[in-house]
Amino acid sequence: NPIVLDMAYNAVEFPSLENRM
Amino acid sequence: AVEDLFTSIHRHIEAGAFEQAAKVADQVLKAAPGDEDAVRCKVVAYIKADEIDKAFAAIRAAERLPIDLSYYKAYCCYRQNKLQEALELLRGQEETSAVLQLESQIFYRLGRMNDCMSSYEKLQKFKIDSMDLKINIIAALVAAG
Ligand SMILES: [K+]
Repeated sequence: NPIVLDMAYNAVEFPSLENRM
Repeated sequence: AVEDLFTSIHRHIEAGAFEQAAKVADQVLKAAPGDEDAVRCKVVAYIKADEIDKAFAAIRAAERLPIDLSYYKAYCCYRQNKLQEALELLRGQEETSAVLQLESQIFYRLGRMNDCMSSYEKLQKFKIDSMDLKINIIAALVAAG
């Protein structure tokens, strides 16, 4: 089977730190 | 101060220094145990660093906290080929594009091509214009014959 790209890796996101800095 | 530590985490993330970001997130957790942003930063930083065992350990360490880490855990299970466990973790979750993308990859690995295509169909409503997505859909179509 062809290799499937790991889109889910990019979908794992850091929380917004805007209000924490 | 915790604010300075978060500024440092932010800089490490921007620089792609994910191991460093995880270490600073750990410092936040020493100063502010259970801080949700720090927990999430630590887990995501280890995932981005491809340190899946460490990501798992960080998830386990946060088990008693009221923070839903099930998507991260499902992703880590997927990376370690614990595909049924990964599916269980996604079950009942809101069908966000992230959930559907992961689900489609799990189904693909399981050879469940009809389910895989159905995840892709549900993904269409998010109007993701991504070459990766197109490549994956073609791969699933080819595998489905
Ligand atoms: K795959």
